Amino acid sequence: MPGTKAADVAGAKRKREIGKTERKQKKEKIRRTSPSPDDEDLQTTILRLESQILESRRHFNNIATLLQIAKKEGADDETAILSTVSLCKVFSRLLSAGDMVKSKGMPHPEVVIIQWLKDRYREFLDILLDQYLRSDIPAKQSVALTLLMRLVEQEAKAQKDYSWKQGPLPRLVETLLFLPGDGDAREEFAEKFLKQFDDIRFYTFQCIKESLESNSEITTQQLLASNSLSLLMSLDTAPGAMDDRNNLLAHAPKQFKSLSSYKSQAQEAWMATLRTGLSKEQRKSVLGVFSHQIAPWFQQPEMLMDFLTDSYNVGGGTSLLALSGLYYLMSEKNLDYPSFFDKLYSLLDEDLLHSKHRSRFFRLLDTFMSSTHLPAVLVASFIKRLSRLALYGPPAGVVAVVPWIYNLFKRHPACTFMMHRDILEPNIKRELEEEGMDDPFDMNEKDPMLTNAIESSIWEIESLQSHYHPNVATLAKIISEQFTKRSYNLEDFLDHSYNALLEVELGKDLKKEPVVEFEIPKRIFTSEDSGLGPLGQLMTHVVESE
Amino acid sequence: MPPSQLKRLKSSLREQGITGPQKSKKQKKQQRNAGQDQRAQKAAALASIRESFNPFEFKHLARPKKFDYVTNRPDDTKKVLGRPGVTKSQGEEARKKTLLPEMNRRNKVGGILDRRIGENDPTMSLDDRTMARFEREQQRKKGANVFDLEEADDGIDLTHGGRSLRFDDAGEAEDYDAASVGGSSDGEDDGFLRQKRRRDSDAGEMDGLPEEAEQPERKKSKAEVMKEVIAKSKLHKYERQQQKDDDEDLREELDKGLPDILAALRGHINKKPEPPAPPKEAQLVNFGINPDRLALLDGKSREQADKEYDTRVRQLLQDQRAKPTERTKTEEEKAKEEAERLKELEEKRMRRMRGEAESESEEDPEPNDEQDHFEGDVDDAAEFGFSSALPQGTRPQGVDDEDDFLMDDDLVASDSEADVSDVSEDESNQDSTMGMDDDEEFLKDVLPEKKTKTKATSGVVTINADAASSKLAYTYQCPRSHEELLVVFKDVSIADLPTVVQRIRALYHAGLHADNREKLTDFTCALVDHISYLSNRKPAAPLQVIEALIRHIHSMSRAYPSQIATHIRQHLKQLQASNDPTPGDLTILTAIGTIYPTSDHFHQVVTPAITLMARWMGLTSPTTTQNVATGAYIGALCLHYQRLSKRYIPELIRYTTLCLKSSHLTPALVAAHTKNILTAADLWSTTPAFIEIFTPLLAPLKAQKQTQPLQRLQVLLQNAKLHRRPQTLHFHKPLPIKQSIPKFEEAFDPNKHYDPDRERADATRLRKEYKRERKGAMRELRKDANFIAREKLREKKDKDRAYEEKHRKLISEINAEEGREKNEYEREKRARTRR
Repeated sequence: MPGTKAADVAGAKRKREIGKTERKQKKEKIRRTSPSPDDEDLQTTILRLESQILESRRHFNNIATLLQIAKKEGADDETAILSTVSLCKVFSRLLSAGDMVKSKGMPHPEVVIIQWLKDRYREFLDILLDQYLRSDIPAKQSVALTLLMRLVEQEAKAQKDYSWKQGPLPRLVETLLFLPGDGDAREEFAEKFLKQFDDIRFYTFQCIKESLESNSEITTQQLLASNSLSLLMSLDTAPGAMDDRNNLLAHAPKQFKSLSSYKSQAQEAWMATLRTGLSKEQRKSVLGVFSHQIAPWFQQPEMLMDFLTDSYNVGGGTSLLALSGLYYLMSEKNLDYPSFFDKLYSLLDEDLLHSKHRSRFFRLLDTFMSSTHLPAVLVASFIKRLSRLALYGPPAGVVAVVPWIYNLFKRHPACTFMMHRDILEPNIKRELEEEGMDDPFDMNEKDPMLTNAIESSIWEIESLQSHYHPNVATLAKIISEQFTKRSYNLEDFLDHSYNALLEVELGKDLKKEPVVEFEIPKRIFTSEDSGLGPLGQLMTHVVESE
Repeated sequence: MPPSQLKRLKSSLREQGITGPQKSKKQKKQQRNAGQDQRAQKAAALASIRESFNPFEFKHLARPKKFDYVTNRPDDTKKVLGRPGVTKSQGEEARKKTLLPEMNRRNKVGGILDRRIGENDPTMSLDDRTMARFEREQQRKKGANVFDLEEADDGIDLTHGGRSLRFDDAGEAEDYDAASVGGSSDGEDDGFLRQKRRRDSDAGEMDGLPEEAEQPERKKSKAEVMKEVIAKSKLHKYERQQQKDDDEDLREELDKGLPDILAALRGHINKKPEPPAPPKEAQLVNFGINPDRLALLDGKSREQADKEYDTRVRQLLQDQRAKPTERTKTEEEKAKEEAERLKELEEKRMRRMRGEAESESEEDPEPNDEQDHFEGDVDDAAEFGFSSALPQGTRPQGVDDEDDFLMDDDLVASDSEADVSDVSEDESNQDSTMGMDDDEEFLKDVLPEKKTKTKATSGVVTINADAASSKLAYTYQCPRSHEELLVVFKDVSIADLPTVVQRIRALYHAGLHADNREKLTDFTCALVDHISYLSNRKPAAPLQVIEALIRHIHSMSRAYPSQIATHIRQHLKQLQASNDPTPGDLTILTAIGTIYPTSDHFHQVVTPAITLMARWMGLTSPTTTQNVATGAYIGALCLHYQRLSKRYIPELIRYTTLCLKSSHLTPALVAAHTKNILTAADLWSTTPAFIEIFTPLLAPLKAQKQTQPLQRLQVLLQNAKLHRRPQTLHFHKPLPIKQSIPKFEEAFDPNKHYDPDRERADATRLRKEYKRERKGAMRELRKDANFIAREKLREKKDKDRAYEEKHRKLISEINAEEGREKNEYEREKRARTRR
């Protein structure tokens, strides 16, 4: 339609002319307004500029002015933010209207305008990404994030086959990954977008992988790794099927066709992150959520085998945590772990009962030891070692160990010799009478098959029957009573602590009158010869040492 | 085959004497003389015969039971199940009385109700009515509180026939007794039995009374009910008094006879012939002689004598036996008793230590066997540290006088009085106290010794004892909170605190005023705060003072255990939150260790306290000298807690090991920790895992170059090894296999339900009852409906009949009139024609 075209051109021309004059006026206006830094004034100006742009194309030059305001360093935050917001509105309007797309056969001036608009748009994005997102002010960061994502959405919606890679998203993710410290922006991104939208998640995985692979400097890599870890850890549920992926910001991307490609994307991102080498704490936190949050994202969880094995070999709490991951692989993926029980046995060290992962470990341990086909010698080693540990452990540890031992005895009657061994042979009996005996159990032996525990007895538990805490003592007595109960539900005994024990008693009111000692001692701190007794002396030590 | 109807009728007529052999003229005459009475009797007999021959009069089983032996209630077969005629007529009667008036009154408004008392009550006689009205009138006149039992006494007494109308009149009861029992009693009943019988009969009368009262159908008004209640309660009151009086009389009577009985008993045992009793008393108390002989002597029958003898024996049994007065005990006995008391307490403690429940029966100090046992081995007390061979005049070791000062109530009362009097006699005592002022310095150091010495002599000296503080005021406000306590104690030097506390305790002794209990409780709680406060203060208060205060708290917490324990637990809660024991906290923990029996299996205060200490040792590491020192103290305290029960504390071993490896050790602290280890080793020497527990401590001890303790520990370890045996925990009797023998019911009754589930049985019973009630109610309703329908029909018939009658009457009247008029007309006509 030539007529319309001509009119368009004419319009454009006119617009340009008008634009020129406008700009002049504008400049004058700015010059006029700038001396008086009245916020109210400036804000109204911004709003007016915005509405003018939206009114007609003649006022496109206002965009440049707004950009100037937005870019101005040290300017008042509010006005700057306001200007960016209005710019965003403007650009999203333009994007959705298709005003920024070149098409064949467009007249030259039109092309020029579009080119100009595109340049301004790029400038705007740069401002948002470099100036705002990296600023220290959380408000600016948040605004930039929201606006950028809005623009991403508009871009994606405007174009049919939108290539995400060209858009602002990769740059945004990269910027986020490079942000030092606990970025609020990163958290916000994870919370508002990454968790919500599957397509964003998909491309974020890609971006993470790429940016991790492209960077090889150690310092930046650590930052990247921790940041990407925090992003990835924020995802909790993995998609179960394709139907789950219906939360889309825009339309689905081309590659985004099957669940497997989606998952493999996630897997690569994870692998890239894990490959960078994690610190101990990071490793622990990864292991902590492994089987629930991470493994489901993997197309082939077997890829994690090495990671888990390495973690398991670290020892201490890390090993305890890696155990659940390994268990996941063993039960789900048929992983064969050589000398697993040796390793498990080596985990029973002094810190186990004090560890905060105690209950988690006991849950797994109960699972591993649930088979009735385990050799009695091995089971006896575990029983003996744990009872030895319980001897030095806190009440909560004892409370967990005793019912577990009970259950094992019930499951492996061959081990019950550890509780009750009648010596019938007269020679040995005589020897025993004369010399007593040592504990046949070897605490230092690494191999649970060779500890000789089955020849030993669990004197430790018997000692614990006179534990200072009445409940623990009573619980320990179950070992020497008749084994009439089928099994104890271990779950009930796991999550105890000093505080829980204290709460139970101190939390309730006195029901009965407490018994009072009938005898009032003559001396408490002092001694007969008018000096201080042992307690008194110790008390003075305490007071002096303060 | 039963005889035929006719035969039976004949026989029954004969039995009743209606028919019979022909009588002679003489007999007939005689009969005629009896007259009216005879005829009535005859009528009644005939009615009963007619009734018994009417097959519809009685309801029997539909068909007689075939085999009598199937039931264990043979009389079931002949039982009359009901009298349908009678019940029916009764129901009809009742309905006529209740339902009919209601029916007649239906849809009617207004009317006059006769509300005069008793007017509608056919059971009340005229006399009753006037009586009730009079009563009401008097009540109105008085206008007093109707329910006042006391008032009512001196109000007007109702009389009848000039005699008081009291229900419980003794004379009346006597009359009754004479009437009812007099005939049967053989006249020789002694007082007691008669009394008893009378009481019984009185009770019976009482029981009968409400039944009679229930009979009138009329519902009682509230006032009446209340009146009845009042009367009843009064009656009970009088009855009680009466009974008491009777008992008193009885006792006096028996008492009078006591010397004789005693003499008789003695004579009986010694076979010493008793001087013949005066003839009047011979009837009553003549035990000296063989009753048989006596009976023969008296000329009574043998049975009578036996009976009398039995009565006497019974009487004797019921008599309370005389008890010998308590003998003054010798010092040895007192000491022994004290030792026994302590032993008993120790037994209780042991039971608590083993965690056995204290049953009520165990609490009672009763069984003789036990006492015998105690007497058997007196030295047992020494085993527990309480020597039975006590020096005369002193108290057993370990029991403080301070405590008795409060605990023994009588002692305390005199004590505090003495204190109060002391205050007034201040002047006179001044001299003696002044004399003691010289040793003021000395006294401060040996305060406890002096106190015990002086207090042992008498309670009066308690104040003089602390002569050092004679300048102190004698009266203080009783502080109710720690703030108040601080104000009161502001001007008191620390060394004088125990004295002041003692004075406050004396001044506000619980026996002196009702509020003092609470005051002292609060004061003790404030003291608990104060010992913590004093220890936290810098410089800390001397430990002697704190010790004295703890002892005060201890003795007071015997009187007020709950409140003080609650307060101490508050402190423990604070420590639980902070987990950083200050010296104040340590003092509280120490106080807990002495105030409460730490050996108990479970104790509301001790258990949290030791858990807190263990938690601290389990969760902290010795990073500063202070931590090491606190650890040593807490360790020692824990071991002190466990000195009797010897329970194992894993955390102690852990922390001590850590401390010995720590770099913040001072020689003194090393010694303290080493001492803890040795104490622990001694305490736990019998524990089966001794080797495992103490072997890890060898290395640190060696590192600290503590050779002597090291050697000692090694010896102990060697010893433990010698005594180690394989575990034999399961010498249990094999459990019997569960048996399922059916449960047999003794004297099984097929009609009864033996549901072992109580709830279900109850539910079934309830359901049955409900069903029965429902059926009954429905039947009643149906009968009511029938009755109403019948009545209505009757009414209608009556009405119709009345109408018919009226109609007929009118017609006949008209007919008659017509006829008359016709006749008239005819007559007139005839007359006219004749004219």
